[in-house]
Order: sequence, then structure tokens, then C-alpha cells
Amino acid sequence: MILVGSFVVVALVLCMAAVLALFGVTHVSMSGAEAIERDGLAPGMRAPVWSLVDAAGQVVRSPPRAPLQLIMFTDHSLNAFPSVVDGLREIMAQERLEIVMLTRRRSELAEPMLRFMGLDGISVLTGSPSLYAAYNVRVMPFAIFVDSAGRVRASSLVNEAWQVTKLLQLADLPLEPDNLARRGRFRRPTAGAGV
Amino acid sequence: MDVLVLCAKTAVACLLIVAGGAKLSDPASFASTVRPFIPLRVAWRLLWAIAVGVSLAELAVGLASLTLPAVTALNIVVLAVACAFVAVSALGYAFHRGRSCRCFGALFQRKFTAAGVLRSAFIATIAALALGHAGAAALRLDVTARVLLFAAAGLLALVAFTAARARGPGREPEPEAVAQ
Repeated sequence: MILVGSFVVVALVLCMAAVLALFGVTHVSMSGAEAIERDGLAPGMRAPVWSLVDAAGQVVRSPPRAPLQLIMFTDHSLNAFPSVVDGLREIMAQERLEIVMLTRRRSELAEPMLRFMGLDGISVLTGSPSLYAAYNVRVMPFAIFVDSAGRVRASSLVNEAWQVTKLLQLADLPLEPDNLARRGRFRRPTAGAGV
Repeated sequence: MDVLVLCAKTAVACLLIVAGGAKLSDPASFASTVRPFIPLRVAWRLLWAIAVGVSLAELAVGLASLTLPAVTALNIVVLAVACAFVAVSALGYAFHRGRSCRCFGALFQRKFTAAGVLRSAFIATIAALALGHAGAAALRLDVTARVLLFAAAGLLALVAFTAARARGPGREPEPEAVAQ
């Protein structure tokens, strides 16, 4: 024996259960490590356009004149990531690459710190929380590669040298659909595996 | 048995609404999943239109199944859709194994795997179960109940859309950038 209109009850209960489950899924995805993994901009996107003056009075633009620009979202706290510094040292000699440090707010210590760590060719630019938001960056140090056409080529949180160098390799891949899936988020390479 | 049939019917309808709503949040990604299934080289806009069409069709069938439970023909349509899922999963497993299927947009990172084929078969089984007989009284809806169900289905689609958008990269490359 079944009650009249019991379909409504069953349907509403299941609908509400599904809504609650989706809320749970969304809550998990918007907090913790999983959310941080989605920071930055997807490769192929148009990067924000800006021009800022560095401490030496030089105007730095994005998109860059150089073929590739690495925007490091960090400040003097970069000294807490010696491996990232090693990674930057490894790639900063490349002529086709312009590296800039974009701080969230004015950081008097940033430039002396870079000099001290042997990264004195890197321009320090004072950004803003809104510029960070435009790049969808919340956690530092974060690296975004932008090409001269103003397209994001690679983007990720970086904690170690190999991540910096691998991002540069990813940034060199042409913007094709098959490559897009491999960009942005990457996994630690296994022993013996190529990048 | 009646309760089982009602649950099966509602579950598949909810699933279609969630899948449709989630896919609509990112048609470009779903279009890239559709592309390998079309043997001809077609324009990106057409792929995008197909992706949106499939998403809307899923949403519409789910919505109709939920708000018009007494229309038995809809059960057959739902079963046909579920069988199409099985066929697509099997084809995907055979020819594009390991690629993202985007069955639920960015909500769940499902891929074309053997487990995916089994999941689709399970959904088809539930859809077949929904073909069973349920008492006419149980399926009788007045206007208020229908409006209530419509609102619940709309809410479910909206939440699925929003959740998929929140979970996905959200800032996907523009099509012309992909074509460079």
C-alpha cells in the first residue's frame, strides 16, 4: 500500500539530499589544498595588462617585450624558499626570459633580499591585492609565465627548484589542446621519468 | 516495490539534472570531450552548440521526469538516455581510455575507464527499474506539488551549476587561444 502523492515526498527528499551533497562537495573544493591547486590562470588565457615602475625607475610591462615573462608573486619571504631561489638562479640567465617579482604591497626588504641571494637582475614591482586577485593568486610564492602576446603559458604555486624549471619547460610548449591538459598543474616527476 | 520504483525514477531524474546543470557551467570543456566522438572536422562553435544541446537535453529530460512522473513514455526516454551513457562510456573506454569524460562537468573528475562503463550500466539498470509499475495514486500530483518539484529541480540544477563552476578551473582558455 502506498500513500497518495508519495512520489512528491520521495522526490523532494532525494533532491534535498543531492543539494546537501553538492554543498558538501563545494565546501571541500573551496577550502584546503584542493582550492589552492586551482589558483592562478589557465594556460591560454589572456593575462592582465599592466605597467609598473620598479625601484630603479624602469617601466616594466606585461605582456613583455621579451618572448617570455616570469611573474613571481612573492616578497622578501622568498628567502624562506631557498630551493625556489635556486630554481630562479638556474633560469634567470636565459635572454628570452624576463623575470619580475610582483609583491602584494610595498616591501622595502624585497630588493636587498634579492641582491643578497644573487638574484639582483630581477625587477621588484609593487603590485596590489587587486592585481593579485586578477591573477587569481592567494598563496606565495606563485609563478606565472606570460608570453609576448599576453597569453598565460604556465602557472603554479612553486616550492622547489624543479617546479620552476619544469614550469619553464611547460611554458615553451605550444598552446595546443593536447598540451593544455598537461599544463598548470603538475606532478612530481618519478625517478627516471622525463618532464 | 512501489517505493523502489519511485526512488529509482527520482534518482535517475536527479542525476540527469545534476549532470546537465554541471555540464552547462563549462560547455567549452565538455565540447572538447565531445570532439573525439565526432569523426568529421567541425567548427568549434558547432561543437560548443552540441555540448550545450546535450547538457540542456539532459536537464530537460530530468526535469520532465521529475515533474511529470505519470507520463510513462518519459521513463522510456530516460532509459534511452541511460543506454546512450553506456554506449558513450564503452566507446570512450575503447577508443579514448583515460581521457576525462566530463559526465558531470567539473563536479567529479571521471574518466573513460572500465569502472565508468560499470557505473553507466548501473545507472541504466536503475532507469530500467524505474520502468516498473508504481501505483497511479503515488504519482498523482496537484499543482502545488508540481510547482514544488519544479522549484526543487531548479534549485538542484542551480546548485550543480554553481558547484561545478566553483570546483572547475573557472578561468578556461578562450577557444582562439587554444587554436593558436
